[in-house]
Amino acid sequence: MGKTAELLPGTLEMLILKAVSLKPLHGYGVLQRIQQISGDALEIPQGSLYPALYRLEHQELIVAEWGVSANNRRAKYYKLTVAGRRRLREETAGWNRLAAAMATALNTAPEEV
Amino acid sequence: MLKRFRSLFRVLKSRREFEQGMTEELRFHLAQYTDDLVRSGMPPQEAARRARIEFGGLSSVQEQCREARGLNPFDELIRQLRHAARLLRKTPRFNATALATVAVCLGANLTIFAVVDSILLRPLPFPEAGRLVTVFNTYPKAGVDRDGSSVANYYERRGKIPAFAGLAMYSYGTAVLGDAGSTEREQIAQVSPEFFSTLGAGPVMGRSFTDEETSTQTDKVVILTDAYWRQHFNADPHVIGRQLRVDGLRDTVVGVLPPGFRFLSSEARLYFPFSSRPEDRGSGQRHSGGNSKHLIARLKPGATLAQAQSQIDAQNATLEADDPEAKMMADAGFRSVVAPLHADHVRTIRPALLWMQAGAFALLLIGAVNLTNLLLIRASSRVKETAVRQALGASRLHVVSEVVVETTLLTLAGGLLGLAAGAGGIRLLSVLGADRLPLGSHIAFDARLACVAVLGAIVMGLALAVPIAWFNLRGHLASGMIQSETRGGTPSRGAQSLRHGFIVAQIALATVLLSGTGLLGLSLERAMAVSPGFRPDHILTGQISVPWNRYPDWPARLAFNERLLQDLSRQPGVSAAGVVNNVPLSGNSGKSAATVKGHVRLPGESPRGYYSYGVDGDYFAAMGFSLREGRFLTADDSLRSSQVCVVDEDFARYYWPHASALGQHLFEGGEPTTDAQSFTVVGVVGAVKQAGLTDQTAQGAIYYPYALIGNDRLFIVVRTDLRPESLGLALQKLVRQIDPELPVNDLRSMDTRIADSLVEQRSPALLAGIFSLIAVLLIAVGTYGVLSYAVTQRRREIGVRMALGARPEQIRGQFLSLALRLLMAGTVLGIIGAWLTGRAMRTLLFQVPPLHVATTAAAVGIIGVVSLVACLLPAHRAARMSPVEALADL
Repeated sequence: MGKTAELLPGTLEMLILKAVSLKPLHGYGVLQRIQQISGDALEIPQGSLYPALYRLEHQELIVAEWGVSANNRRAKYYKLTVAGRRRLREETAGWNRLAAAMATALNTAPEEV
Repeated sequence: MLKRFRSLFRVLKSRREFEQGMTEELRFHLAQYTDDLVRSGMPPQEAARRARIEFGGLSSVQEQCREARGLNPFDELIRQLRHAARLLRKTPRFNATALATVAVCLGANLTIFAVVDSILLRPLPFPEAGRLVTVFNTYPKAGVDRDGSSVANYYERRGKIPAFAGLAMYSYGTAVLGDAGSTEREQIAQVSPEFFSTLGAGPVMGRSFTDEETSTQTDKVVILTDAYWRQHFNADPHVIGRQLRVDGLRDTVVGVLPPGFRFLSSEARLYFPFSSRPEDRGSGQRHSGGNSKHLIARLKPGATLAQAQSQIDAQNATLEADDPEAKMMADAGFRSVVAPLHADHVRTIRPALLWMQAGAFALLLIGAVNLTNLLLIRASSRVKETAVRQALGASRLHVVSEVVVETTLLTLAGGLLGLAAGAGGIRLLSVLGADRLPLGSHIAFDARLACVAVLGAIVMGLALAVPIAWFNLRGHLASGMIQSETRGGTPSRGAQSLRHGFIVAQIALATVLLSGTGLLGLSLERAMAVSPGFRPDHILTGQISVPWNRYPDWPARLAFNERLLQDLSRQPGVSAAGVVNNVPLSGNSGKSAATVKGHVRLPGESPRGYYSYGVDGDYFAAMGFSLREGRFLTADDSLRSSQVCVVDEDFARYYWPHASALGQHLFEGGEPTTDAQSFTVVGVVGAVKQAGLTDQTAQGAIYYPYALIGNDRLFIVVRTDLRPESLGLALQKLVRQIDPELPVNDLRSMDTRIADSLVEQRSPALLAGIFSLIAVLLIAVGTYGVLSYAVTQRRREIGVRMALGARPEQIRGQFLSLALRLLMAGTVLGIIGAWLTGRAMRTLLFQVPPLHVATTAAAVGIIGVVSLVACLLPAHRAARMSPVEALADL
């Protein structure tokens, strides 16, 4: 396992939206998917995953449906709603702008001022 | 926002499912993780432990999940409700007292509010009813405050007043319906063609009346109310064009009104055209309203009452220019007044109703103060618990919301009981005669009232919570409170003076309520004690309407009277019988002008209106009038249409203060005419109360032979040695023998008529009496509760003092003197309040000063005795307390 980064506030929701946008997932699957797509760089505290999922469900950005997991157990699967998809798009764009701005700002050399 | 509510609603709907799903989901997560860990080579037991540790506290995660779904406030509320219910269950006696208090106080307010709402607040059931007005003539200087409007007024104003979108005339009456042998007398109204369009509600089937139907030859048409149509025509959809026998003639049905159509308080079941003869419409008849014909109008959008008034005034001024009577009418203070229809209709009962509401509200205040005191006492006994909880971290918000939940739960439950009490109260009111009030039949107990009940209960709950929450929050100074309330032996000063202040307020309010009731009761008693001026016992009265179309001239009508009176006098038990066009206290006594021959009006002296009656038979003897001078009128005077009359002593004293009235001459109407038309005064009788027992003015009355002033309605008056009501059937039979088409209505003994005429005094007095009784009970409960709590609080102090040698009398005296101090303070405030209230409700009082010493003293006495007795019990208990016992649990 490589070095892990602390999550910034609010980014967990964004990651969850991204994770379930690829394919409907159950809670545990969301956790694994985030670790996978972040190249194991992000450590999600397991306890905070579910309140975040419930919050997103409450905002109707994702919906849940009971299904059967790969090892044949009943599990709750989450998938993105239309509103969720729109939110993900906005958040991604916003994040990219922020990241670019931050990168530019932080990479400024003394002679550029 | 809406989305979130939707989601919250879904979860709330299946709360159990939500919890199960959440548990299952979290368990699945743990199981999956454990499996993964085992697969990576960890021993199963160690894996399960690791999984749980990494996941964190399961219940805190669950709590966060619930919060994420917005469930927390609900959980909190449910917890507090449970807590409140548990606390309330623990104190059943307190509960019963509190619930009964809330139920009675809210119930009383709801009952009165139902009346106030349906009579004063709700608009009349017509579109834009606020623009409906009435116009009436007044001659205040002649003693005639309201004279309705004349037919001439209607035709002169119709279409001429720009502020009016519509103007209509109506009058009430009765008609005999059906075929001979099975006739019924029905209440009817006669209305001008634009009556329904002015109101904005008219026939749903057929049409309104037309202008062509307003002459006496062409008015044989009728519009039915929905009720009459259903009852007598079986709701026949083809009823238009069918015929109906009215006063012996055939009328054609031209319209049917919608269900529930009701004009003001009218009981009319059929509507006829307002027909008149051309001579009724002329300017000479301008002032012949007689308070039987009335105008209504609808203001144009944007037009104001003031505009309408000034247009009417301007028109009156123009018309008066060539009116020979103008000078006299101006002297009489003549004016036509435009007034809002609704307010004008309910003006007489408005003050009484508002005072009743104020009385009910005072009761509510007393009850609320009582409850607050009881709740404060309970909060004091829980002060340790509250302090400990606050020390353990309960937030101020939590403490406050807990109190609010508890008091609101209590008042809501009480409010529901109060709704039931209110429903019962309304039934009681109708027994008391509330449905005879103007618009009284509109009184309804409906959803609107239920909403008011719930709202009132919630407001009361919140208001009750304020002092309790304040008290509990002060308990934050935990150590100090615990010490002062339990170890030191004497209760905290703040809480104690708050409770005592409430007792004082309660006693003051109850004193005001009781003395107000006393004033109303005394007014009623004095009104009932007023002699009506005749002997009302053993008189039976009944109404017959004799239709003009079958008795078209005076000989025919007098023959009917004569035959009836003769038959009656042969009836066993009858000592005298007479006929009059209107009995006193019937509620619609009209006044008309008369002119005394030779009397010259002094400057500033206005012409006067006099109660005028037409009498036949032995009317005066039957009524028990007293004869002052000369003789009574007899049946002979009527038969021969003699130009004679009898006046009452008020009239005689006004015109001939120093001479005999006998032999003097007077003219009917405002102007002297020829001598042949003058009436010779042949007798003077005692004055009687004409419009009501509480009449104060000596207006004067004139009695003419029946043929000269009678109308289609007559009253039979029979004096009997038997119980008056027992003669009713015989009277009806006699009338049917003479004419099978004439029913007798409104059979009542004169005593009953007098009692009924006092309904507007009696009902408020009775209601106030009920309120006072409840208030006294509440005072007893409140004082007892607070004093016995004071004793419990101070038991250690008492124990110590008794152990040191204090005598029981000293202990008892201590509590009694506390009670006396509170009582004194409350009484002083109460007397001031009673005086102010008495002044404010002067219009309701009859021959009673605003501060009646005996009444106020009685009120103070009752409250004093009740609260002292309520104090004696706890004080006595304190005095008998054993010091050992009192000190035992130190």
